[in-house]
Amino acid sequence: MTKRIFRSIVIVATLVLFVCFGVTLGVLYSHYSDLQWQQLGNELTIAQNGLEQYGEDYLDTLSKGSFRFTWIEKSGTVLHDTQTSYETMDNHADREEIKEAFAYGTGESQRYSNTLTTKMLYKAVKLQDGSVLRISAAQDSVLALLLEVLFPLVLIYVIAIAVSLMLARRMANRIVNPLNDLDLDNPLSCNTYDEISPLLHRIEKQNKQISAQVAQLKEKTDQFEQTTSSMSEGLVLLDSEGKILSINPAAARLFETSKACVGLDFLVVDRSQAMSGGVKQALAKQHCDFHITKHGSEYQIGISPIVSGNRLLGAVVLAFDVTEQVNAQRNRQEFTANVSHELKTPLQSILNSAQLLQSGLVKPEDVQKFTGYICSEAERLLQLINDIIRLSQLDESVEFPQESVNLYAVTSQVLQTLLPAADSRNITVELLGEHTVITGVRQLAYELIYNLCDNAIRYNKDGGKVTVTVGKDSITVKDTGIGIPKEHQARIFERFYRVDKSHSRETGGTGLGLSIVKHAAQQLGAIIELESEPNIGTTVIVKF
Amino acid sequence: MRNLFDSQLNTLHRKLIEMGSACETAIDLAVKALLEGNADIAHEAASHDREIDQMERDIEAICLKMLLQQQPVARDLRQISAAMKIITDMERIGDQAEDIGEIVPFLNGRTGVECEDIRLMAETAQQMVRSSIDAYVNQDMALVKKVISMDDIVDDAFDRTKETLIHMISSNREDGQYCLDLLMIAKYLERIGDHATNIAEWVEFSITGQHAKEE
Repeated sequence: MTKRIFRSIVIVATLVLFVCFGVTLGVLYSHYSDLQWQQLGNELTIAQNGLEQYGEDYLDTLSKGSFRFTWIEKSGTVLHDTQTSYETMDNHADREEIKEAFAYGTGESQRYSNTLTTKMLYKAVKLQDGSVLRISAAQDSVLALLLEVLFPLVLIYVIAIAVSLMLARRMANRIVNPLNDLDLDNPLSCNTYDEISPLLHRIEKQNKQISAQVAQLKEKTDQFEQTTSSMSEGLVLLDSEGKILSINPAAARLFETSKACVGLDFLVVDRSQAMSGGVKQALAKQHCDFHITKHGSEYQIGISPIVSGNRLLGAVVLAFDVTEQVNAQRNRQEFTANVSHELKTPLQSILNSAQLLQSGLVKPEDVQKFTGYICSEAERLLQLINDIIRLSQLDESVEFPQESVNLYAVTSQVLQTLLPAADSRNITVELLGEHTVITGVRQLAYELIYNLCDNAIRYNKDGGKVTVTVGKDSITVKDTGIGIPKEHQARIFERFYRVDKSHSRETGGTGLGLSIVKHAAQQLGAIIELESEPNIGTTVIVKF
Repeated sequence: MRNLFDSQLNTLHRKLIEMGSACETAIDLAVKALLEGNADIAHEAASHDREIDQMERDIEAICLKMLLQQQPVARDLRQISAAMKIITDMERIGDQAEDIGEIVPFLNGRTGVECEDIRLMAETAQQMVRSSIDAYVNQDMALVKKVISMDDIVDDAFDRTKETLIHMISSNREDGQYCLDLLMIAKYLERIGDHATNIAEWVEFSITGQHAKEE
């Protein structure tokens, strides 16, 4: 800006300076030259008269003046000269002004001297005696005049440039400062120049457009962030070079990073070969799926390319926690295996005994024993199937009628039923507490308490002790039995889960008791707490 | 020009992380094979070496190309020269993981439980490799210091392992072969620790321009 203004000012200044100078010089010069000619004519007339009156001597008096006089005879021989010795001067007859004077009485001419910087002006007049008197004077030529004024001219020019530079800067500042001070967020408030108001209007319009678009974008981003941040699945968006564009909290937790990793290469976050290979494959426009194990959980990772038209925009990484699915599948497989095993074993015994009886290989006195086997195994099978049926009833969440249940009464009823089993192994059973009444399903409460007490007796040591305390809103069953090791405690409520798989026959449990307890507790809205120490005993607290 | 250079540096960085990851996988598998006495995993560990060697060639080619074409100076030059040194150490780690993988099947399922320090060395060396590569990835000076300090654990454990093995051989000559195999494995683990330390020191060099001071 300053530069352009400066340039125009300088051009104008220069132009004005030179034109003015040229015009002034021309006018003055011609005026000055006219004046000189006139002066020359006057001087000549005076000298002519003097010469004609007083003769040659008069010329001598003129020798001190600023003009040079030359007296030339008719033949062209110089008779006198006021500045040089006339003897040495050559014939002047062919000089233009002399010729003119001889011919017309007066004559004049001008000639440049050798140096060109001065011009000689000549004027001649014919005297009465036929000779010619010439006056001459030196005049500075235009060039000389020019050279003379050149220095002041340059000085003025330099000053002009300096001033114009200063002015240009000030002007530029004065023009630009209001523009710089424009409040672009609110352009219409500062209408400094009328000339730029269309621009300001356009800026205002664009500002509005931009802020609308930004708001829209922000809303979309917020929506996206909120949607993804509440997702339990990990989600990472990558650009076409594998750099992270967005990562949701679940994914950040999974890959042990934070939001700060946005913009970094995904390799920096997870460099495992499975992941980096998957990302590479996705960026080659191929979907891939695989499982990884991290922090003790199983994750299913899906990486898909994002393709628009034919152009790859990036990739999306989705991580699902499939630990529960994997566990559930394992549990199902174990359950199927267990159920078939548990059902098959008593049947096999029954079949074997029956076959022996059928083939008549059994001595008559042993028949009683074998039929006893068959009975007890069939009973066991029946008990097992009953348990399974009960469990599946609980699974189906059949609606049972709600009624008031006296827990103390139910417990004492249960203990009555179990007394023979306890007595046979010298186990003391004690019932403490108060009559607590809850609202619930009597059948379920019975199943729950029965199975807990049954376990407490079944997995007790001979001569051990079982204490059942019915408290306010809770039942505590405490035994002095074999206890449950820590690593099994989490799984004992699973169906058919056995702590000691090899001794199930001796204790005679079905492996479904605690499953039933768990389900019954769920239906009754109760919480089960378990404390157990191997070889010291187990305490189960059911809180209603 | 600078854009091209930056993208080349970026590629170098990526490839180096990938190679580090391959090394980690190799040593993870080798350590797992050793601690579980599993010959199948051992073979898998050994199979990674060729891939790592190929990666070293590739990265070397990238580095040379950059040095020739871009004539880098200052920090860029440091990064590239450090990368060239790091891949050498990574390649050695890959080799040693392969060597361990080749020895494990000869242990016939034994896992060196007699010598508790081998387990310590294996786990520490594994951790050192992981941390040194983490240090490179995140340009983390704190991790560099940690890796360098961990090397002492491995060295001390190696000394103790030697004594334990001498004792084992002198008390039971039958087991000589087994003890020698264990000694080799211990030595390889000790070397892996050294290489991880080297990597950490080169990371320090590429960050600060200074080599770790010898203490």
